[in-house]
Amino acid sequence: MTAFANMSFSGAWQHRRLWHRVAAGCAAWQEAGLDSAEEWEDLLARANDGDGAAFARFLRLVSPTLRAIIRARGANLPRDQQEDILQEVLLAIHLKRQTWMRGSPVRPWLYAVTRYKVIDAFRRRGSSIHLPLDDFIEILPDEATGAPLAARDADRMLGMIDSRSASLVRAVKLDGETPEAAGRHLGLNAVAARVALHRAMKRLGQIAERMQR
Amino acid sequence: MTQGISTEDFIRQLAASPVPRPMHPALVMLGLLGPSMVALALYFWAYGLRPGLAEALMLPVVTAKLVLPMIVAALAFWLALVSARPGARPAMRWLILPLAIGSVLFAARAAQTAPGGLVSGMLGQTAAACLMSISAMSLGPTAAGILALRRGATTRPGMTGLLLGLASGAVVTAGYALHCPEDSPLFYVIWYGMAIFISGCIGAIAGRIWLRW
Repeated sequence: MTAFANMSFSGAWQHRRLWHRVAAGCAAWQEAGLDSAEEWEDLLARANDGDGAAFARFLRLVSPTLRAIIRARGANLPRDQQEDILQEVLLAIHLKRQTWMRGSPVRPWLYAVTRYKVIDAFRRRGSSIHLPLDDFIEILPDEATGAPLAARDADRMLGMIDSRSASLVRAVKLDGETPEAAGRHLGLNAVAARVALHRAMKRLGQIAERMQR
Repeated sequence: MTQGISTEDFIRQLAASPVPRPMHPALVMLGLLGPSMVALALYFWAYGLRPGLAEALMLPVVTAKLVLPMIVAALAFWLALVSARPGARPAMRWLILPLAIGSVLFAARAAQTAPGGLVSGMLGQTAAACLMSISAMSLGPTAAGILALRRGATTRPGMTGLLLGLASGAVVTAGYALHCPEDSPLFYVIWYGMAIFISGCIGAIAGRIWLRW
């Protein structure tokens, strides 16, 4: 795994090689979890009938495995970004859960959804995006303690993105609101707020990078 | 960077969300057949059916003009639906069947034809009209079918699009055969096959754009 940690994530052939790691992880998963397989099918079937508790339990049960798969592919990503990808996969499982055929094994389905979304997530992140985000956030809390330069920078940067995203960032990063609460004011649901915030931070990260040059 | 909500909260939100709507195969079929029928009806209204349609259909070699595309349509439609579910493996080898039948018809006619007549038989009189008419009429069903397939979750958008394009091209071709007066397999195996293939390529491109999720 360490051999992969130092690689950048661009290039189709690298994706392919990295995927072998994931496949190996999935094989281990299949050996480890044969007993629980039937329960997973049962849970997802009930979930698709509208049983929310069963769906929550299903997602909790598969999360550790998905987390391991994501870590196998992206060991050099910070933990919270790995967790972001996990949530993207969970969201996809939710949105596409009706494409699982009742009565068929759930693992091949889950494996395919995860593979698709993980590859997608890494492709979209590319090789450069996971670096600058944290640097920028470190600047922001300084505003309260009166570091004028950082505050001015933050204001200037927030002025460079659209006002909706800016107020979202301001509410969450400067005023300490939760993304859900901030999103509600802007008419966004929790998922949409998270996505919008993520995009805004990404853009701010790019702006910060440009400003440093 | 702890902008995100915890995965546990996220799971709870997902579990509380309504169950997404499933993919309806009947809707995909309606998407394919509806626009095809409309396009063909307009086409027949504008350009008419072939002369001597009823008598011509008595000949097996002419009936094959309809039946062969129908086989392609049924197979490609079925495979497209299978490929829209993660983890399922569409049995693409079945597409060899219509290809083999077409090749046999072509070879049988070629064997009966004098060497001098082979090329002129293949070129026919209406090749350009055939290609353009079928490709144009297949655009509507391809678009509608892909729209309906967006509820699915193909992990290979290009291939699912290709299969759907083949299906819509083949449906339109079966209808076009009622207009087309060229009855030699030398002509129709080549040009119908080509037209269906073009439609498949359009579907593949459309799938790569609109079937991602």
